[in-house]
Amino acid sequence: MRIGIMSFAHHHAEAYIRILSTIPDVELIGVSDDDHQRGRSIAQENVVPYFFYEDLLYSKPDGVIICSENSKHRLMAEMAADAKVNVLCEKPLATSVSDARAVVTACERAGVLLMTAFPMRFSAPLLEVKARIDEGDFGQVYCFKATNQGELPGKHREWFVDKELAGGGALMDHTVHLVDIMRWYLNSEVHEVYAQTNQIFHADEVDVETGGLELITFQNGTFATIDASWSRPPYWPTWGGLTFEMVTERGAVVLDAFRQNLTVYSHAWQRANFIYWGSDSNQAMLNEFVTAIREDRSPAVTGWDGYRAVEVTIAAYESAESGLPVRLEG
Amino acid sequence: MKIGIAGVGFMGTTHAEGWAETGAEIAAIVAETEEEAKPLAAKYGVSIYNDFTSMLPDVDVVDICTPTHLHYEMVMEAAAARKDVVCEKPLARTVDQAQEMVTACQEAGVKLLVAHVLRFFPEYALAQAAVADGQIGKPGVVRLSRGSYRPKKPVGNWFLDEGKSGGILMDLMIHDFDYARWIAGDVESVYAKRISATNPDAPVDYGLAILKHKSGTLSHIAGAWAYPPPAFRTHIEIAGDAGLIEFESDTTAPIQYLLLKTAGEDSPDVALPSSPVSESPYVTQIKEFYWTLLEGRPTRITALDGMAAVQIAQAAIESANTGGVVELGSLPEVRS
Repeated sequence: MRIGIMSFAHHHAEAYIRILSTIPDVELIGVSDDDHQRGRSIAQENVVPYFFYEDLLYSKPDGVIICSENSKHRLMAEMAADAKVNVLCEKPLATSVSDARAVVTACERAGVLLMTAFPMRFSAPLLEVKARIDEGDFGQVYCFKATNQGELPGKHREWFVDKELAGGGALMDHTVHLVDIMRWYLNSEVHEVYAQTNQIFHADEVDVETGGLELITFQNGTFATIDASWSRPPYWPTWGGLTFEMVTERGAVVLDAFRQNLTVYSHAWQRANFIYWGSDSNQAMLNEFVTAIREDRSPAVTGWDGYRAVEVTIAAYESAESGLPVRLEG
Repeated sequence: MKIGIAGVGFMGTTHAEGWAETGAEIAAIVAETEEEAKPLAAKYGVSIYNDFTSMLPDVDVVDICTPTHLHYEMVMEAAAARKDVVCEKPLARTVDQAQEMVTACQEAGVKLLVAHVLRFFPEYALAQAAVADGQIGKPGVVRLSRGSYRPKKPVGNWFLDEGKSGGILMDLMIHDFDYARWIAGDVESVYAKRISATNPDAPVDYGLAILKHKSGTLSHIAGAWAYPPPAFRTHIEIAGDAGLIEFESDTTAPIQYLLLKTAGEDSPDVALPSSPVSESPYVTQIKEFYWTLLEGRPTRITALDGMAAVQIAQAAIESANTGGVVELGSLPEVRS
């Protein structure tokens, strides 16, 4: 199995290189980047060949992982589809509904597999809850109180806080994971979205929303709030997190996806740090990508899943703009 | 100062314990039935009155601890009789009633002290003081939650009667609506959902509300009647542009009881974690009210705050019922 990586704009790319090296019978055939200096340097560090995009695709990898800036996902995915190469695309799938649709359509027409990088689908704690929902252990699910809060992501890469490249701020960054989880848990699509945003955190540093609360309603009547804010201070013990309280007929299920930490106090940091020891969901996600290619089947998380999450995110922006709930079509 | 307490449920009993620690005298008690009032009357050596009206002439202050839907008439009557009033939260079942009550008390020149006890809980008071002191900068997102099981009462469970209590958004979540407003100022709009609006027969209830404050701050308020007894959990997170405050009742309780059951003992398998303080917040509240009543010392909650909290809760109910966003008008002008 021959895999390539397109762009190092997203810092996850470096983790993916390490993970790919641990999967049996997978070869990272090369990497490419818009920023040749950055790309070459990362390629060198990891001892993998460096390519221009066209040359990487011309080398006929079995799949590529797209880690570009959000707004460039469409261009990269279309290039890969044209070259008949399977795609794993970072989230969000695109920064507009039309771009997301174009990505899905391009891959469908080319007959290549398209997977959206939603690692939380592979999180061990989330999988346990999903299994228990499907077993009927909780009865009806009425609502969720969910958070996907983080620190300002600009410290990883500048473009995360660039409206053009990222497609927005905190809402664009943090809506899709939880929307995808809830769609997966409920087997229901989002019906209506209400969102409010503000720009109080880091007001002078960035030109995108840094605070955002959403209240969404699913077609089956389940409702949920999502706190998508970049509200963690830079000296928080970890980058942020993903939590929910799920209220059911049987009571509540309270989940903290990244709770499996050691709390480490070190002279070096002069503060507490959470060091995560839980299972790596990125590893499980990449395993699924290569397995789906190998077995020539649809991956557990598809391009349509990515599309749906983008649709909800864009509706959230419309709601934040108008101050009113926005209904999704269909 | 002679206090007349109306209502002898949990609140009436708790307030009585507070008054007992002040210089005031509990002079009268009125309850729905004489039988209910007997234990409290015996404890403090107080006369039981048959009804609210007959109690009024014999007291200086009335402390109204009756179910929410009864507050309006009692406060109006107390104001007409020129008696100072302490009133349990929510001040009233509707904002129109609350406004009439506030106006009536102002016109009568009597005090109206609304018992939003959350403002007297040390963790909540300290967090508010830290924000007011600028320790975390301007609040961007405030998250408050509170949850337990459905209120239980041996008879006449008015909590579960929407018309009487206003349900979870009014009865439970008003604590945090008031607190959010204390932290981040007046509220511009409310959007809310609750399980009971669409699933009236659900065995649990849960409310979620997003408040947009005039200051630009957003608040997220959650209330649960969904946990197994004896669970009771509260949470505060105030994220500002220069820091963050977090409080979790579960993880800050200094005592966890992991006791083996003794033979034949009928106790819950899991005891509540305990977070004892040297003075109950309910007592702190009554003491502060006492000095306000006696000497006009400042108190941390005004009648207008009580009315504003009802306005937010009512907007949340309307939003949950209609599915729309509810804009809050300015509170009706009240002469000061």
